[in-house]
Amino acid sequence: MRHIRLALRAAEPAGPGIRLLTLMDPDGWPLPRWRPGAHIDLHLPNGLTRAYSLCGDPAEADRWRIAVKREPGGRGGSAWLHDALAVGGELPASLPRCTFPLAEGARRHLLLAGGIGVTPFLPMAAALAGSGADHHLHLLHRGPPPLPAQLGALGDRITLHDTSGGRPDLGRLLGPSEPGTEAYCCGPPGLIEAFLAAWPAERARVEHFTPPPLPPLPDSRPFTLVLARSGRRLDLPAGAPLLPALHALGAAVESSCEGGICGACRVRWLEGPPIHRDRILRPGERETHLMACVAGCAGPRLVLDL
Amino acid sequence: MSVTPSWIGLVAHLHITARAFLPMRAMEQIELVPGEGILGDRYRIGVEEGFYSAKPEPGRQVTLFEEEALEAIRRDHGIELRPEEHRRNVTTRGVPLTHLVGRRFRLGDCLLEATRLSIPCRHIEEILEKPVFDPMINRSGLNCRVLEGGTVRLGDPIRPA
Ligand code: FES
Repeated sequence: MRHIRLALRAAEPAGPGIRLLTLMDPDGWPLPRWRPGAHIDLHLPNGLTRAYSLCGDPAEADRWRIAVKREPGGRGGSAWLHDALAVGGELPASLPRCTFPLAEGARRHLLLAGGIGVTPFLPMAAALAGSGADHHLHLLHRGPPPLPAQLGALGDRITLHDTSGGRPDLGRLLGPSEPGTEAYCCGPPGLIEAFLAAWPAERARVEHFTPPPLPPLPDSRPFTLVLARSGRRLDLPAGAPLLPALHALGAAVESSCEGGICGACRVRWLEGPPIHRDRILRPGERETHLMACVAGCAGPRLVLDL
Repeated sequence: MSVTPSWIGLVAHLHITARAFLPMRAMEQIELVPGEGILGDRYRIGVEEGFYSAKPEPGRQVTLFEEEALEAIRRDHGIELRPEEHRRNVTTRGVPLTHLVGRRFRLGDCLLEATRLSIPCRHIEEILEKPVFDPMINRSGLNCRVLEGGTVRLGDPIRPA
């Protein structure tokens, strides 16, 4: 599996229920490079995998920063990162994946964050400011805002909207969607839904915290899963998920979100055609790759380059 | 009887990394240990940190890559691959790496034996965000074993043993 080891070098409070973590290689070796909008998976000792956007400066080659909000109703991922991980403690992580890249060539960038969903926007806004691009960040929050020190650095490029009295009208907040203006949203599902209703999809980019519900597999039928390199195969009933089948065949395919949004389980396919239900592959990429956690098969055989 | 070597190359770049997937670091010189590999590198036998990418390989103690291959990839595919990005330890100039499999040669004062050609790793595309996997097939470098160790410096000659 493609893991690297990270050690917690520093931790500080950064707003309500938020712990800002500085992660480094145990010996301080430089870490893989990343682009604004990238996230990593952390593999926790309780078996959970959690994805966090990198919110530091990509120019800091030897450290990554993530902001973890305590989720009281969660399954214990954020609680472990808050309470059990001490400075000096180590944990495995994935390589950074950029599923929320800035739109190159856009003239104007509108960033819309809900609460802790502001994290990917910190390096994105810094990159936009550095290149002199026209941009503005709107942060919707209830009560004290997250990461106040980091937000302060954005100066007049950010507007805070306290939603204690209700959510502002997104259409008015974002303004008219002119060609050349790209809008981005990261936050809870309700905000993403409202954003997509208020802004044309072709100039919209979204980053989900939690996978959206899956559409059912249309006219699924039984198929044979074939691994081209090992020659192993398995007959699967209609609608069967691929990941457990791949693991049963001994294929080392990673997974994290298991909902088609994080990019961990990307596999090259050779024969299908697959049914794609992910949210991240571009049309061109679907000609050669699938996301194994959510993909199905429309043909009698699904042959993978594994 | 003395044999006149048909080629003499040189060490153009040196890189190591402590662990799999972490960036390669440029070095002025590296230290080779017989039967093990390079001090501080992930592939050194006995202290492998490349575990996640591959099992320890006795035949992969030091890896080499032709600088000419970087130029070919730029020319044929329009992809700029830098010496620290191919993830091999020694970038060579003027050495016919593909012809050395099974042979011994001198890297500076050290003696190496080439075990097999390296194969590219799909992950490299993910790490670099460049489509270099296909271009690197058949020109992905050479894996070697260290027979006699010592210090290797930038500019050192490489020649047949
Ligand atoms: S596991 Fe996240 S996309 Fe498949």
